[in-house]
Amino acid sequence: MDQELRSFEQYGLSDEELFSHVDHSALESEKITAPRYSYWRSVFRVFFHKKVNIVILCVLAVVLAFTYIYPALIDYDPFANLMDSTAKHLRPAQAFARFGPSIHFILGTGAAGQPTFDAVWNGARISLSLALICAAINMTIGVLLGAVWGFSKKMDLIMTEVVNTIGNVPYTLLIAVLVLVLSPSFWTMVLALTVTGWLFIAYFFRTQVIIIRDREYNLASRCLGTPITRIATKNILPFMTSLIVTQLAIEIPSYISYEVFLAFIGMGISDMSLGRLIGAAQSAMLTPGWGFEFWSPVIVSAIVTIVLYVAGQNLGDASDPRTHM
Amino acid sequence: MTKYLLRRILHAAISVCIVVLIVMVMIYSMLDRNQIFASDPQFTKVSNNDKTLYKYRNWKDFGYVDYYTYTDWLQELAAKGEIDEDTRKAASAIGRTAEGDKDEVKPYVERFTAEAEANGYTVIRLDAIMQTKSKIAPGGQQKLFATRDRPLYTRLLSYFGHLVTVDSIHSVTEDVGERGISFTLHDPLYGGEKFSPAIIGNGTLHKYLLYCDGKFPYVHQNLVSINLGKSYSINKNIEVTTTMTKAQGSFVNTLVTYPTGLTEMSADDLHSAIYQSGSLEGNVLNEARFTDNYTNVLTNKSGMSRWGYSFTIGIISVFLAYLIGVPMGIWVALKKDKLVDKIGTAYIVFIMAVPSLSYILIFKALGNMAGLPTTFDMESKSKLMFVLPVVSLALPSIGGLMRWLRRYMIDQMNADYVKFARSGGLSEGEIFSRHILKNAAIPIVHGIPGALLGSLVGAFITERVYVVPGIGGLLINAIGAYDNGVIVGVTLFYATITVVSMILGDVLMSLVDPRISFTAKAR
Repeated sequence: MDQELRSFEQYGLSDEELFSHVDHSALESEKITAPRYSYWRSVFRVFFHKKVNIVILCVLAVVLAFTYIYPALIDYDPFANLMDSTAKHLRPAQAFARFGPSIHFILGTGAAGQPTFDAVWNGARISLSLALICAAINMTIGVLLGAVWGFSKKMDLIMTEVVNTIGNVPYTLLIAVLVLVLSPSFWTMVLALTVTGWLFIAYFFRTQVIIIRDREYNLASRCLGTPITRIATKNILPFMTSLIVTQLAIEIPSYISYEVFLAFIGMGISDMSLGRLIGAAQSAMLTPGWGFEFWSPVIVSAIVTIVLYVAGQNLGDASDPRTHM
Repeated sequence: MTKYLLRRILHAAISVCIVVLIVMVMIYSMLDRNQIFASDPQFTKVSNNDKTLYKYRNWKDFGYVDYYTYTDWLQELAAKGEIDEDTRKAASAIGRTAEGDKDEVKPYVERFTAEAEANGYTVIRLDAIMQTKSKIAPGGQQKLFATRDRPLYTRLLSYFGHLVTVDSIHSVTEDVGERGISFTLHDPLYGGEKFSPAIIGNGTLHKYLLYCDGKFPYVHQNLVSINLGKSYSINKNIEVTTTMTKAQGSFVNTLVTYPTGLTEMSADDLHSAIYQSGSLEGNVLNEARFTDNYTNVLTNKSGMSRWGYSFTIGIISVFLAYLIGVPMGIWVALKKDKLVDKIGTAYIVFIMAVPSLSYILIFKALGNMAGLPTTFDMESKSKLMFVLPVVSLALPSIGGLMRWLRRYMIDQMNADYVKFARSGGLSEGEIFSRHILKNAAIPIVHGIPGALLGSLVGAFITERVYVVPGIGGLLINAIGAYDNGVIVGVTLFYATITVVSMILGDVLMSLVDPRISFTAKAR
């Protein structure tokens, strides 16, 4: 020790220059030094670390641009060529020959002579809007209620029975009754899909809350007197974020799927959504030469849902703090 | 365990009742009741006052209203002996308008009105509709009747009251001679020599209460029947259960010996004989064949019932799904992050995200390219037509099974006990088969009863896409045709299936995993 100290003096540094006296501060000594951690920055760091996610985001951006920006830019009128019998059921090559090459006709034309490409993206806009609105409403109610439900035993007793009962009422019947009582409009469908839809999401989050509510660190936290609201926001919410994002990734495609199903059985909305397009073009499926007008909405519905699902799942993975190491 | 199960069953029964109640509220109170006539050909034939009466009569039959006419009421009075036949005839001739009532009619009309209103009925009087000054328009006869909306609780009670009927020797109210049940070891249908036990009743609704034949399950009964409700438009006046279980297709003629001894090629299934009042006398066809009024028979058909088709397709696809899905899920989990896993995950994403209609149509197109029949034909003997529906049902289930099994397996692989077992020196194979697989399989086991029973419910999209004459579309067709009886009946059926499979799943899970106990106090 002496030797080392002496060695500093060799360089001509005095004790005063090397050391300075620091006052003891009770406040400072409580602080733990750790690298600055920002949750969302870490989420995006992990998310963009995988190169495939960038590709998926680009595809998502293209899909969103086509569903929301493209229909706003074009002047789409499904009945523009209704009286023109030579404009119906054309293959792309025939449509190009008939109308001249343009982006509208790269998928040919449909039963009313409408350009399939425009019809598909217009339908995708309606279907996706429906899915996004329903998901927003159901997730908001579901998550908030599910959190309360997980904490309240009295509520658990009642709501579990409610789920068991409502879960057995055929969903199709519920929607059919609402559509018949009201009108088959966009907002009726939103109402029909949200009137009981939140219940199952709430049930899912109730189970998740119960799982972590009784974990040791939460028990310890409660023993130390942390108020429930603080436990909910600081201990449980971070755990929930990735579940919420993952669930959202499942929900949005499922509403599109359900809309397609309802349109197929003739209970869908009156707008020409993706489901209505598929239902209307069903007869074209096996007709030679009409394939494009049928397969386009089917494939587009698949692309939209897959892209949303994968992007959501990967974001959900990234938002799990355990992957931030 | 027994106590717990009984409680679960009770809870389930209550929740099924509530479901039926909710559905009844929805379809009887919220929907426009005139819609039920939308596809009724008879409705367009009646006109004027008859049309109104026809509506009320049918609403009564389908549980909307209680209703009786002035004529019915007078007849009841006559039956009770309060008035004689002449008075009844005189009193029943009501005037074309209320003012035109004759003096001998008036007091009865007033009494009818007072009695009906005291019971909560509304009395409706329809004046005659005249075509000319003296001629009444077709169906324009004056009418007087009382009606009231049926309260929900009576509707529910009468529905559940009629749910299960047990045939008794007093089922037929007419005079049928000596009532009784006879047991025979030699069914007379087979000539009375072949050994075939049967119980035959007289006075019962069905002639054969118990009989044997060559069809699965070989012993059949007609003693207890379940009435889920009558159809209005899907299958007019036929029980939902009959709609589900009745064979379809073309007639199959076999050599049938009728009770009179007449033998001929016929499709009649004499075991299904039901009493039909007054059907024997004066009916040349029946008199040649039958010796009693049990003449209403079903017919043998070549195809299966709706239920049969759905169940066959469903059960094969369930087995296929578990046989393929479980090993695939295990394989994918074992090769985590390798190529197999990536392909498997891509498939799972495809099934999870893409609308089911879209992928079933894609399967259909692929099957079409492979040369498989894409539409179902009951007359065809080919078993190939089952392939595409079965595959279309199995492939999504395989995706679902793979997804969950992979997830559970990977969760288990990271568990502490696995690290402990490894540090204890167990081989990877041992850890895997003895510990990981066993633990990961428990949640999968829970779904097996649901999957098996679910095949009874049918699959709507698949059946519609491949034109399978199954049960899946029944509810949706019923909704489309405003067929309340079928909607309620099918809902009850679905709800029962769901509830039962939940309970069975829990029981099976507790059998597989001894750690799960329902007797211990909940958290």
